[in-house]
Amino acid sequence: MATDITLLWASGSHACWRVMIALEEKNLQGYNQKQLYFEKGEHKSKEVLEINPRGQLPAFKCGDLPLNESCAACFHLECKYKSQGTKLIPDCEEGRALILQRVFEVNALTEKSSSVLYYNWRVPEGERHDSAIKRNKEALTAELKLWEGYLQASSGFIVGKDFSMADVIVYPNVAYLFHYGLSEQRYPKLAEYYKGLMNRPSIKASWPPTWKNAPKQETLKDI
Amino acid sequence: MAKYMTLLWGSGSPPCWRVMIALEEKNLQGYNQKLLSLEKLEHKSKELLAINPRGQLPTFKHGDNVLSESYAVCFYLESQFKSQGTKLIPDGPAEQALMYQRMFEGLTFYEKLSKYYYSSEPQTLKRNKEALVTELRLWEGYLQKLGSGSYLAGPSFTLADVVVFPTVGTVFRFGLSPERYPKLGEYHNLLKERPSIRASWPPHWLESPKGLDTLKDI
Repeated sequence: MATDITLLWASGSHACWRVMIALEEKNLQGYNQKQLYFEKGEHKSKEVLEINPRGQLPAFKCGDLPLNESCAACFHLECKYKSQGTKLIPDCEEGRALILQRVFEVNALTEKSSSVLYYNWRVPEGERHDSAIKRNKEALTAELKLWEGYLQASSGFIVGKDFSMADVIVYPNVAYLFHYGLSEQRYPKLAEYYKGLMNRPSIKASWPPTWKNAPKQETLKDI
Repeated sequence: MAKYMTLLWGSGSPPCWRVMIALEEKNLQGYNQKLLSLEKLEHKSKELLAINPRGQLPTFKHGDNVLSESYAVCFYLESQFKSQGTKLIPDGPAEQALMYQRMFEGLTFYEKLSKYYYSSEPQTLKRNKEALVTELRLWEGYLQKLGSGSYLAGPSFTLADVVVFPTVGTVFRFGLSPERYPKLGEYHNLLKERPSIRASWPPHWLESPKGLDTLKDI
């Protein structure tokens, strides 16, 4: 039941967003939730550490069971609430294989995006190199081209004709890239995918509140 | 069944090892397999790139399905072959939730090991070493809490062990001290005797039993 579920989250965190989309899709609105702020260091608060000793968000509990990894939470919710809401992992063999493949492939997209977006935050001043920055941008470009390719024949979803776990996991990553100024002209299929799902109820309901009135970011404009 | 499966793999690669353990646990021995040499860059060969544009191992084919993410293969095998071999996803909600949690934390564990192993600059090396030590201590704590003889999610062997053991096997191969990490050492000793793990033990580790010293002082 939704009232047994607790989520501590931050706006704009793609990992938190995935869990929120999954909760909406499984008709679990009404879960206990609290928005926290990284800037205030709230992800290291006692409240978070009690659920997630790593001091990271999302901090998520289903009953007494902590599930702090976004994919763990999403997979568990799909399993536990199989018979309600949207079916996120289908029973048929073919659809399932490709969905699983894309769900795990997104780690590469996350890593390559983070290498560009968070370079200065991750790498102390003395260790930064222009050559590394260039390399990271090239790696992200190559990665985005792969995803652009995956979406060539898309019906609006990452896999197949229905919204699935692949969309729950991947959509936040894609939205994040456009929020940071990724070019819609250079990546038309990704842009189509991004815009096509923007108004899906689960996505609209969980859209990061801090993005709504934020100024346009341009970090990824030239990728 | 197994004869319609093909696995392209590299010796000592934890992601490949995960898939091989899963195949053994699900009684799918007899799959077609080809060992590629990572040193000779065979994973970037035309043959592999044609099936997997990322040029990465493992690459697994079952009929028309091509999967190159080890976790995807493990989940896929468990759901396709639910009724044969070991039950890898437990029914009990607490055990299942813990399994999912540890599986995905396992990605962080592997990432921190890889980052340390591949870093070269002294300051980066120091930072990544500290991150790896923190991570190892977390896992030591998880095993401490569960008690001796336990698997990562509780009393049964699950997908969490399939995907995380290869990382544990690797840290000990790289010289991690079982005195400093007794619970991890115990877990390693328990699992290295398991048939699926013995059957898929990296061949070049058998050829040269003495491992590396990279993690000796961690």
